[in-house]
Amino acid sequence: MARIHHSRTLAGLFCFFLAWALPVMAQDALRLQVADGNGDTVTLDYDQLDALPQSEFTTSTIWTDGAVQFSGVPLKVLLDAVQVEGSAVEMIALNDYLVTLPYDELEEDVPLVATRMNGEYMSVRDKGPFWVVFPYDRHWRYRTETKYAQSIWQLTRLNVVD
Amino acid sequence: MTHGLNRYRVAITAGFGLLLLLLAVMVANLAAQMRSLSLAAGDNTQWSIAQLDTEFANLNAILTEQVAEGGLSRDEVRLRIDIALSRVDIINSGRAAEIFGDNAAAARQIAPINAFAEETVALLDAPGGLSEDDLRRIQEMLRDVRQDVRGIAVLGVRLGAEQSEARRAGFARQLLWTAGVAIALLFLMGILLQLLIRLLDRAAQRDRELLTSSRKLASTVAASLDAIVTADSEGRIIGFNSAAESVFGWRRREIIGQKMEDTIIPNRMRQAHRDGMDRYLKTGEPHVVDSGRFELAALRKSGEEFPVELNITTTDVEGQKSFIAYVRDISERKIDEQKLIDARDRAQTMDKAKTRFLTVMSHEIRTPLNGILGVLDLLKTTSLTTQQERYAKIATASSEILLEYVNEALDITRIEGGALQFSPQDFDLQTLMSSLVDVLEPLAREKQLSLSLHVADGMQMRFHADNNRIRQILTNLIGNAIKFTDRGEVKVAVKGIHGPDVTSVRFSVCDTGAGIVPEDQEHVFEDFVSLAEGVGRQRRGDGLGLSIARRIAREMGGDITLDSEAGVGSTFTLILPLHRCDAQTAEPARVHDQGVSAKPGCAVLVVEDNDINRRVLRDMLEGMGHRVEEAVNGADCLEKAAHAPFDVIFMDISMPVMDGIEATRKLRASGGPNAQSEVVGLTAHGVEEYRAPAKQAGMNRFHTKPIRLNALHALFADLGEVTSSDYDDIGDDDVLGELIDVLGAGKVRDTGDAFFAELQAFADDARDARDRADMTALAETAHKLTGAAALLGLNRLEAVLATCEDQARAHDVAAHAKQLVALVDLADVAQARFVRRLERAMAAAVPD
Repeated sequence: MARIHHSRTLAGLFCFFLAWALPVMAQDALRLQVADGNGDTVTLDYDQLDALPQSEFTTSTIWTDGAVQFSGVPLKVLLDAVQVEGSAVEMIALNDYLVTLPYDELEEDVPLVATRMNGEYMSVRDKGPFWVVFPYDRHWRYRTETKYAQSIWQLTRLNVVD
Repeated sequence: MTHGLNRYRVAITAGFGLLLLLLAVMVANLAAQMRSLSLAAGDNTQWSIAQLDTEFANLNAILTEQVAEGGLSRDEVRLRIDIALSRVDIINSGRAAEIFGDNAAAARQIAPINAFAEETVALLDAPGGLSEDDLRRIQEMLRDVRQDVRGIAVLGVRLGAEQSEARRAGFARQLLWTAGVAIALLFLMGILLQLLIRLLDRAAQRDRELLTSSRKLASTVAASLDAIVTADSEGRIIGFNSAAESVFGWRRREIIGQKMEDTIIPNRMRQAHRDGMDRYLKTGEPHVVDSGRFELAALRKSGEEFPVELNITTTDVEGQKSFIAYVRDISERKIDEQKLIDARDRAQTMDKAKTRFLTVMSHEIRTPLNGILGVLDLLKTTSLTTQQERYAKIATASSEILLEYVNEALDITRIEGGALQFSPQDFDLQTLMSSLVDVLEPLAREKQLSLSLHVADGMQMRFHADNNRIRQILTNLIGNAIKFTDRGEVKVAVKGIHGPDVTSVRFSVCDTGAGIVPEDQEHVFEDFVSLAEGVGRQRRGDGLGLSIARRIAREMGGDITLDSEAGVGSTFTLILPLHRCDAQTAEPARVHDQGVSAKPGCAVLVVEDNDINRRVLRDMLEGMGHRVEEAVNGADCLEKAAHAPFDVIFMDISMPVMDGIEATRKLRASGGPNAQSEVVGLTAHGVEEYRAPAKQAGMNRFHTKPIRLNALHALFADLGEVTSSDYDDIGDDDVLGELIDVLGAGKVRDTGDAFFAELQAFADDARDARDRADMTALAETAHKLTGAAALLGLNRLEAVLATCEDQARAHDVAAHAKQLVALVDLADVAQARFVRRLERAMAAAVPD
């Protein structure tokens, strides 16, 4: 059973977001929605995400040329921040691409919900605004089929499932 | 063995190392390959490329709908376009770019897509926002590029699939290799396993053998008759077999762990043992260790020491030295040895005692014989009836035989004592042999035996040796041959082989007597053996002769052998190595007169402890007209000699208080009136034993007892230096002396008597001779008599007889008759003198 724990601060945030929650608008493309199993959703913009603890790493990817520096919020940090728990998290892209990441596979700073590539915000045209990335060069376990599939770009929504 | 094992160990280790390395490489390689397969970057890329088509299709649908109905906001449309455009970047960069690589078809299809993207971006980013026309324009361009997008997606999938295929093929190859290596590994492990099994088998086999041999060794040690004691480097006993238990009296369990020096080594040797052990362990220099068998003493548990023979060896097992002693108790052997030594010593003592007994006996017998013969000699100078004279003669002859026996016994003691001495001189072998045969011929004739002599041509020469001894031996052999032969002949032959220095001369005496059975052939050479019991027991040479002859022959480096067949005869062979005379430089035999014209009225001192002998000698001397003083021993002699000078001093050798040797020495050294007097030594012992000391002490002459009257006459004749009378038919004293030596005085006398009887008969016959046949017979007889005269040394008689023979052969009766007168005259004189000389020679005066 999944529950959302309301801290005092985030409870406020929650109420604030609720006003613009539905339907999904075009400007929402630059925001990240986080939903729990009960359908409660939190939407986070750049400022909110930047306010969370940051992390970064440099790695090459199979989609880009050369080494690239990614920075942003580790997924685990993000999920902890919105205080949702579950067995897995469904990650959904702008084109409705969906992939599931079990909680077990979450590490402290991996994967990273990157907000910036080489220090710049990423446009939709450039696989932005949010790209879930792994430090592929760090270990071969990050270069598996699964990890590549989980490396979802144009991320727009996270559904935590039981 | 260790070397072999090490080699195996190295091989096994190397093999395993190699395989492990190979396997490690393979596994690492496989892991990398697997990772690479699981990473499968390509698959995701392919999917990404394929998504391009999907996105463009979606965009196309959206745009178519928008143009037709316009339901979406401009931002929505822009977002959709951006999403689609974001995909264009995928095929231009990263893995997708790698997949397409230099593929021409891909490049052809990518180019319009990129152009579309550029133009669309330009429209999107143009100021003033996105118009309806713009959308239519984009839709048119999208429609134009759809085929290329479709194519590139398909191409991406195909190329990606091909690359994946290649990777899988590579992995399959790698798998095959790994499998190969694994199989090789299994195979090698199999081999190694086999090797290990073999090694184990061999080790087990070796174990068994070792066990067997150690058991054998253990049983050998246990069964050994010698005690075997094993000790470690500190001398602590670690092994003690059952023989050791019985030798030392210690039980094995008692002594194991104890030190040798506290148990089996005698107290007196313990310090030496400790020092020896220390030295050996320090320097490694063996002293008793490894030095073979040696004898030492050991200690029994009961505390008694006993002799052992032992042998110590060392072993070095893993740097730990231990000593193994093989000990044999030789106390029994020592006891036996001691018994043997004692027995030998006893035998030697007894032998000495026997010799001494013989010596003493001969001395003790000689002394009374001296008295008997002396008295008999004196008796004969008195007027006796014919019967008395005959009795005196028998007594004299018997005494003489007794004296000969004593002399023979003395000979044996001399030979055994090594005191037999030889007086070699030059002599002619032919002459020696002829004279021998001539002397013995009458004996043979008595028994109607023929006695022949044959001297090989090469042997008619001179040799240098003791001819008297040779004569003695041969006289014995020939005499025996005659004695024990009843019919037939006795042949004497001499031949020899000339060696470089000496000639091996072979004298053989062959008879046709009864012979001697093989069992008795060696006995005849033993002392006191006479095989012909009861035959001629009174003849000389029965008992001791042959044994003495052989001893003398052996002393001379030769031997006497016997070859005999019972019923056929015997051949005694004397073989002697004789030195040849290098030049004919033999001195003519010294002929000196020993007539009876003695120096009269001498002052004589008789030094003799035996009353009878002293008295006899005194009577003899006084009978000869000398003045005689007596002394009873050496000291008495010195006293008497200090006051008055004596011409001759007769000095007994063995006397109480002071013996003759010492007395003579003192006398010579005293400077008194008798310092230069003639001293005649007398002994009842053998001459040989005292000759040197007597001469050294200063004695002029030396004489064995009994000294006979005629010997005294000869002695004083010598002293008086009176030359011989004109008529002395007795020439060389040596000839007669030799004869007496070899034949004995009795036999010589017999021979002489026979000669003179024959001479008498010859003279009688000659007077009656009238005719030619008589003359021839006379010549033959004269010839024989000439030889006999030569043999007896009657030189003048020989010459006259030779003349008689010549005249007889010439049938010169007148001359012969005249010669006969001279012969008869000469014969009487010669016979008288012969008897005298014989008696004198029998006394065996020994000049220096």
